[in-house]
Amino acid sequence: MKNIRLAIFILVALAQLSVPALMAWTRVQTLAYGRVWKFKTAPIDPEDAVRGRYVMLRLDAEDFTQSEQLKSIDSIYAILKEGPDGFAQVDHLSPSPVPADSAMKVEPGGWWQERQHIVFPFRYFWLTEKSAPQAEKAYQENSRRGQQNAYVTVRIRNGDAALEQLYIDNKTLVEYLRAQQSEKK
Amino acid sequence: MAGSTNRRAVRWLRGQLPELVAAGVISPENAGAIERHYGSVESRTNFGVVILASVGAALVGAGIILLIAHNWDDLSRAARTVIVFLPLLIAQALVGFTLMRRNESRPWREAVAIFDVAAVATAISLISQTYQIQGSFADFMRVWLLLSIPIVYLLRTTLGACVYLIGIIVWLFAHEIGIFVRSPDPMFFWVLFLLIVPYFLLRFFEDRGSRETAALAIVMAIALAFGLGFTTGFAKTDLGGVAFAGLMTAIYLCGIKFFPRTDERLHIVALLGGIGIGISAIVLSFESSWHMGREFFWGQRSFDGNIAVALEFLFPIVAVALVALDPIRRRVKFSLAAAVFPIVTAVALGIANLCPPSDAESLHKTSCSFTAAALMNCYALWLGIDILTRGIRSDSIARANFGLILIAALAISRFFDSELSFVTRGLGFIVVGTGFLVANILLFKKRAAAAA
Repeated sequence: MKNIRLAIFILVALAQLSVPALMAWTRVQTLAYGRVWKFKTAPIDPEDAVRGRYVMLRLDAEDFTQSEQLKSIDSIYAILKEGPDGFAQVDHLSPSPVPADSAMKVEPGGWWQERQHIVFPFRYFWLTEKSAPQAEKAYQENSRRGQQNAYVTVRIRNGDAALEQLYIDNKTLVEYLRAQQSEKK
Repeated sequence: MAGSTNRRAVRWLRGQLPELVAAGVISPENAGAIERHYGSVESRTNFGVVILASVGAALVGAGIILLIAHNWDDLSRAARTVIVFLPLLIAQALVGFTLMRRNESRPWREAVAIFDVAAVATAISLISQTYQIQGSFADFMRVWLLLSIPIVYLLRTTLGACVYLIGIIVWLFAHEIGIFVRSPDPMFFWVLFLLIVPYFLLRFFEDRGSRETAALAIVMAIALAFGLGFTTGFAKTDLGGVAFAGLMTAIYLCGIKFFPRTDERLHIVALLGGIGIGISAIVLSFESSWHMGREFFWGQRSFDGNIAVALEFLFPIVAVALVALDPIRRRVKFSLAAAVFPIVTAVALGIANLCPPSDAESLHKTSCSFTAAALMNCYALWLGIDILTRGIRSDSIARANFGLILIAALAISRFFDSELSFVTRGLGFIVVGTGFLVANILLFKKRAAAAA
């Protein structure tokens, strides 16, 4: 009886380990081999007790023109295209992730006067506790009207979208904060 | 019943056994049988120790989460990933140790179970943070619950089972809030719920009289009420009232049948069901409860939609079956007024649907809504009087007063609901208040007479 229990426990333990391990593995693959897309952002910074701190992302591309309201709510993919300014835009919505390097699963939002809102699968950019307050300040300085200098890069592979980096003034957040620090000195 | 056994008395009796055998009052076999009978009572660990051990494990787990989440600024992703798995591996090593060496120690089992479950949550959350993975909270809860349920069985933790049930209620709310459609499909709740049922049955057949089994039964009943609430919202039929009446009655009858007591008092599960019946009856006595949505249709439904409708029928059927299957010759222990609640509700639903919706009336209101509500008012009054008289008969002040509270709640509801004059309302309150006084005086007199 004890041996059976132990054998079952080993299976359970493997399952418990494999879930986070698989999550990490899929993401590592997407980050290594996925196609890079840039999205203009408008982040804010609330606090999350469990997950440290994060920047809440609001992306320009999440609102786009569409003449008809979404009917189906199961599995919707946004098919992306690159705009003239180099930033990603939603080309159209599709029930299947084709082509695989420019499709990502999204949640449907509201529809109002031919403008469709969708929610991308990355709403937060997590930060370390130390950099969160500075990051918030940096964003506020760089996301005023007329001075929108913040964007995120996302890698997409086989319909899986991995948030890669938050850029402010064309520098990664860490580089930007470091530059700010040295300027002060 | 083992649960209600006085432990000090058991210890005294065990001390007396050698003397009784020596004096020839009982045989050594009888003494052995008595020892075995009370063995389970004595071997039970102090519940306080279990709680303290579990709280300790939870605090250690929370401390680890905070330390890891806030002190790794300069680590690379790979280093963080390795560290994330450390608490989980430690917890799993402890579970393995407990299974091999401390399997009979309840505080070990409960504490290690909580530590392992917390470590799984930590690992998933921190991998999500490290790799910017952004699932919904409901998805996270679902994975976490599924990875935690085997631990409940392996470590036989009733506290863990209760926490699991609370977790599936949290999943219901997270799922409802996280999705942009009204009444999203909550049917996965029932899968999660069914996973805990075998554990409850194990506990029930092992020791139905214990406080832990009762606590688990209560949490299960509460989870069922939430699950059914979300399911009726999803099913979009007008059967919600009947389904709830069925559930509450089934809980009440299960409490009486499966947790019998030797005295006149009700088991906590039956009590919970009784209170549920009372509250549901008051809610259904409002006329607005019988304004039919008429969303019900017999056409094409999704598979989950069909299951939801079947579940709405299931609980009233179970309740009626529990009444019908009771052998006729046995003395009926349950309140007939409480037991017929689903049938009365079904009749009221039928009445409410008899009339076609009239254009002159407000939305969904039928001219039969009033008749249905009137029937429920009569029923609630009968229920209140029945509980009151049963309370007086069984010398239970609490039960008698619950009957009175029910009648008072009914009266108050109607005073606010209807357009009665102040004089009528005032008279009504006086009648109900006098009822309270008279019933309590009667009860105390009866008690004083019994004491003398």
